[in-house]
Amino acid sequence: MMQGAISNRIRTLRFMNGEMSQAELGRRIGLTRQTIAAIEAGKYSPSLEAAFGIAHVFNVPLGEVFQWEAKASPSKAS
Amino acid sequence: MSYREKIAWLSLAAMAAAYGPYFLLAAKGPGPWEPWPRLHPLGLFALVSIVRMLILGAGYLYFRLAFPREDRPPLDERDRAIEHRSISAAYYVLIAGMILVGCFMPFSSTGWTIVNAAIFWMVAAEVVHCSVAVASYRAQAAA
Repeated sequence: MMQGAISNRIRTLRFMNGEMSQAELGRRIGLTRQTIAAIEAGKYSPSLEAAFGIAHVFNVPLGEVFQWEAKASPSKAS
Repeated sequence: MSYREKIAWLSLAAMAAAYGPYFLLAAKGPGPWEPWPRLHPLGLFALVSIVRMLILGAGYLYFRLAFPREDRPPLDERDRAIEHRSISAAYYVLIAGMILVGCFMPFSSTGWTIVNAAIFWMVAAEVVHCSVAVASYRAQAAA
């Protein structure tokens, strides 16, 4: 199974949008401040709906908010 | 700490305060002073249930007065995911307990021993429910 790590640029995007607070971002997409903080810290993976909502608030494509990087898996012995 | 985590802690504290002493007393059995030994555990259980409800009521009232409405938001998707996980864990504890109480204990125990065992597993399931919720909120809390 392919494995990877999800990272995000929410902190940067909040800064670029007038230092928007986590509470304000959460209010706009119907999440709590604690959930935004957990997403930002990479401790909670949001639903697709929430992820698109965050991208919509910042007016950027989803790929600019969340990035996925494949982890190197051990090669199979033939 | 989120509002939901505070609620989970409150539920844990209420159960510990109410059912902890109950099971300690239930383990000792009715005393010789008890006029109706068969009804003694029933009265005790009613009493601890009232104590638990009073603690929960006082806690909810405190949260309502101490925190503004913005700090008491409705469940969001993370809260629902945590709730789903904690209920799933509690379900397995409850099922295991009920199998033990319903299928095995009738061959070795009788009366209030079986009733108290059933209550114990229900309380244990609720403790697991709240504990998993607290642990999940703690694990996802941003530094």
